[in-house]
Amino acid sequence: MGDTAFRLARVASAAGPLALLTLDNGEDHTKPTVLGRSALASLEAVLPQLETGDWIALVVTGKPFIFAAGADVDEFPRMTRPELAREGSRAGHELFGRIRALPYPTVAAINGVCVGGGVELALHCDLRTLSSAVRHFAAPECFLGIVPAWGGTQLVPRLVGAKTAIRFIVENSMRQNRMLDAARAHELGFVDRLLEPVEFLDESIAFALEAATEGLPERRAPDLSDTAELVARARAQLDDSLHGAAPAPLRALDLIEGAAGWSIERGYAAEEDALAELLPGHEAQAAVYSFGLVERRAKRGVGIPAAEARRVQRVGIAGAGLMATQLATLCLRRLEVPIVLRDLDEAVVEGALESIRGELGGLAAKGRYDEGKARFLGSLVSGSTDLEALAGCDLVIEAVWEQLEVKQGVFAELEAVVSPACVLATNTSSLSVTEIGAGLEHPERVVGMHFFNPVAVMPLVELVRTSATDDVTLRTAWETTKALRKTGVLVQDAPGFVVNRVLTRMTTVLMDALEHGNTTEETDEAILRLGLPMAPSVLLQVVGPRVSNHVLETMHEAYPDRFPLSPTLAAFAAGSEEIVLVGERRRSVEEITNAALEAMADEIRHLLEEGVVAEAADVDTCLLLGAGFPFFLGGITKHLDQKGVSSRVAGRPLAQIRIAAPAA
Amino acid sequence: MARELREVVYIDGVRTAFGKAGPSGAFWRTRADDMGVKAVRELLRRNPAIEPERIGDVIMAATAQVGDQGLTLGRDVALLAGIPHTVPGFAVDRMCAGALTAVTAGAGEIAMGATDVVLAGGVEHMGHHPMGADVDFNPRFVAERLVDASAVTMGATAENLHDRFPQLTKEDADAFAVQSQRRAAAAWENGVMRETVVPMSVFTDEGWRMADRDEFLRPDTTMEALAGLRTPFRAGGRVTAGNSAGLTDGATACFLTSERTASELALEPKMRLAGFAFAGVEPELMGLGPVPATRKVLEQTGISLDEIGLFELNEPFAVQVLTWCDGMGVAPDDERLNPYGGAIACGHPLAATGVRLMAQLAYGFGERPRARYGLTALCVGMGMGAALLWENLRG
Repeated sequence: MGDTAFRLARVASAAGPLALLTLDNGEDHTKPTVLGRSALASLEAVLPQLETGDWIALVVTGKPFIFAAGADVDEFPRMTRPELAREGSRAGHELFGRIRALPYPTVAAINGVCVGGGVELALHCDLRTLSSAVRHFAAPECFLGIVPAWGGTQLVPRLVGAKTAIRFIVENSMRQNRMLDAARAHELGFVDRLLEPVEFLDESIAFALEAATEGLPERRAPDLSDTAELVARARAQLDDSLHGAAPAPLRALDLIEGAAGWSIERGYAAEEDALAELLPGHEAQAAVYSFGLVERRAKRGVGIPAAEARRVQRVGIAGAGLMATQLATLCLRRLEVPIVLRDLDEAVVEGALESIRGELGGLAAKGRYDEGKARFLGSLVSGSTDLEALAGCDLVIEAVWEQLEVKQGVFAELEAVVSPACVLATNTSSLSVTEIGAGLEHPERVVGMHFFNPVAVMPLVELVRTSATDDVTLRTAWETTKALRKTGVLVQDAPGFVVNRVLTRMTTVLMDALEHGNTTEETDEAILRLGLPMAPSVLLQVVGPRVSNHVLETMHEAYPDRFPLSPTLAAFAAGSEEIVLVGERRRSVEEITNAALEAMADEIRHLLEEGVVAEAADVDTCLLLGAGFPFFLGGITKHLDQKGVSSRVAGRPLAQIRIAAPAA
Repeated sequence: MARELREVVYIDGVRTAFGKAGPSGAFWRTRADDMGVKAVRELLRRNPAIEPERIGDVIMAATAQVGDQGLTLGRDVALLAGIPHTVPGFAVDRMCAGALTAVTAGAGEIAMGATDVVLAGGVEHMGHHPMGADVDFNPRFVAERLVDASAVTMGATAENLHDRFPQLTKEDADAFAVQSQRRAAAAWENGVMRETVVPMSVFTDEGWRMADRDEFLRPDTTMEALAGLRTPFRAGGRVTAGNSAGLTDGATACFLTSERTASELALEPKMRLAGFAFAGVEPELMGLGPVPATRKVLEQTGISLDEIGLFELNEPFAVQVLTWCDGMGVAPDDERLNPYGGAIACGHPLAATGVRLMAQLAYGFGERPRARYGLTALCVGMGMGAALLWENLRG
């Protein structure tokens, strides 16, 4: 990255000179400016000029589209000692504090992305203007396993009250890192003026000059007397959902609570203590690692060939059940091309179309589409029981019953109807893609595109290449995945791919515990205390016991030693609700957790040695994006490596397992 | 049914500061259309009696109709400036006479009764779009000797003028340049530039800055300094960077209305369009253009030259103004001629310039209430001239 610096310009005005400070890293908006070492050093170098000049006001702003995108996350992995983290917090407190102390009006002109440290920089100014085009205003620190430690926990409540502070700093972070848009940020009281983008900076400068000549506008300080009560309530809710697995949000609540009574200095000291503890810690380092995976590695498309993708102008969906309907809706909304569903059962087809059009209507009612657009999209989707309806498709996604013969039959039929170049993608979760396409004349256009439930929400698509799959097909699957706004991870054609393989292995441990006397509460707790978002018993209901058992049976066939069949799961699949006891060997919750972790480490070791994915980081990406593993768990392999489980089970960290060539 | 021709009046005009084209100029990292947007929004702000919905057409000129000056500039700028989408717009090119042509086109619409209010102006970002960058000259021009090769290089045509009119010397050109710089410096001190220039924040390699002053100003220019400059268009020539206008980035915008609408909205029109003319001349002597154009408009309107109290002529090259002076019988140091300096001092963003001339003329009418008429005129590459004659309404 080019050097990041605060650049000072002098703006002449009738009332005197105004200081205009721009934070810029010399790159375009695809490389957001961050407040790393270089930026802070530059701020320290320019402060004396601001403190001793004859300025009548200061406006701080960012390069086009970016105000400041937080601290430099790339520097976090180096903060392995508490003193380093503490100093990082203290340095920001000191430098931003000096801005706060400037003897003339200061205005943060928030012209673009403003998150984390960017928000804190803005809070240290007397006033804030915000461009109405901004859609990223947030404090994602808790999401990354830390807390705002440059004054945010102390200044946000003083500006907007405890309730908004808790929502902004704690709750939004824990809800997929939700961010505020400009209108909302203004509504909540974070900024003094909401301005149109077209002349944003000129108007912000005029606002600053007004403050300089006419005084700062009035602002009422919020009543913080309800802080303790709000914090207590928030703590209770967090405990429910996190089970103590993530320390950061709770610590943030402590700091917000303190802000109601502490002096700023005391609050800043508390932030320094908090960061010293959290940043070198396990959860923060894991979260930063996960963040890097998802933001960078996953977007690169490791292993995806540079071929030219086929243009996808017409998509067919084989099947019209729940999954197929979800896939059709996704393709319709994101690709906006004709979608054709085909199922043997006419009622199923009609039901699917009704459901899709109903969803479009609902979105239109919510204002997400205008009527004309919703109508148009509705006209793009059609259905039939006739296979011929899929002729002319560039891509067909197969989502029929999970049985090899059935899928093979569908593929054979499809081949008769579609062009030889049409990509045939299967959504199978556990069958062999190679075998599904085995009988075809053109197996090179067969690929696996395994989506996760619920399709609208889960970002992962496991892209499965067989030895026959050609580069164009794989590239087309990758580009389509991107167009659907999902993240594709390349996996080889092995049973269960990554997510189902690892989760099913975990399931065998839990089933075994249940069959030896443990309760569902105990097996759920064993997994929840890892910080996973959903109790396994609930996940089982969502996926359905029949599907889960089916997957287990498939895994058992492939790896009988590691995936024993479960009489209980089979019973659930048959409709029973009774656990089938096999023996008495009740374990403690902790023992179950460890057994689950060891089993996962073992299974990941195997799949890495088989070359199912290129490296451990890809397993982490899959579980982060396909199984909802929380960022602070760092993706499972890092966690297993750090806790020593990998060494115990596999003899070495999973991160070190990398084979030269993928499995055939 | 007899159609009534409506009078066209000028209400107000503004411009951005004019910057040096190229990486070291203020507007290097600013989009051309964004500069147009700034001028338009300032114009709207200064004239709140004209509601945006009332504008009948937005006509913006640019020579290079591509990139950040493409996309049918009048429409593009109108939408970006927040003018309602019910207001149409279009783009015009007559090179240096772009904005003036936008004005005459708009005037035609008003005169015909097609609309009451026109927003006209121009943008040229010569840094992003050097002259002739996207142009593919037809080889016939040279092969069939339709045009002399020198015609495509403006500076060469200026040297040609010195050749044709040897009485116009380098010293005369330099003297005129010094005069332009001095008058412009004074105009920045005491009024017209402050009145007509809207500052805008611009993003540069050094962060955001304010572009609030023309970058070519050299108030301390002397004859001695100019004498030593090299002559890039011809060895031992007469045309230098000092006695020409530099390559410039800038945007302008103005309001025209019908006379009746002006009184309906209680506006204070500053001048009335009495007449206009465009003329063609030999491309290799393009600087000659304003002479026949001026003569044509005088004939058309029946007004004589000595009834004109103010002249705003563009100064792409000092010799071009001297040529007009020589042809029309006006002394180059006449204080009616470019009293606030000209393009040699402030720069010439090709298509945008015309409205700068108008804005300065309108200001001049305020200072000279007894000047009955005024002229805005300029020459155009490939051999044309434009002349617009205005009647002072500020008397």
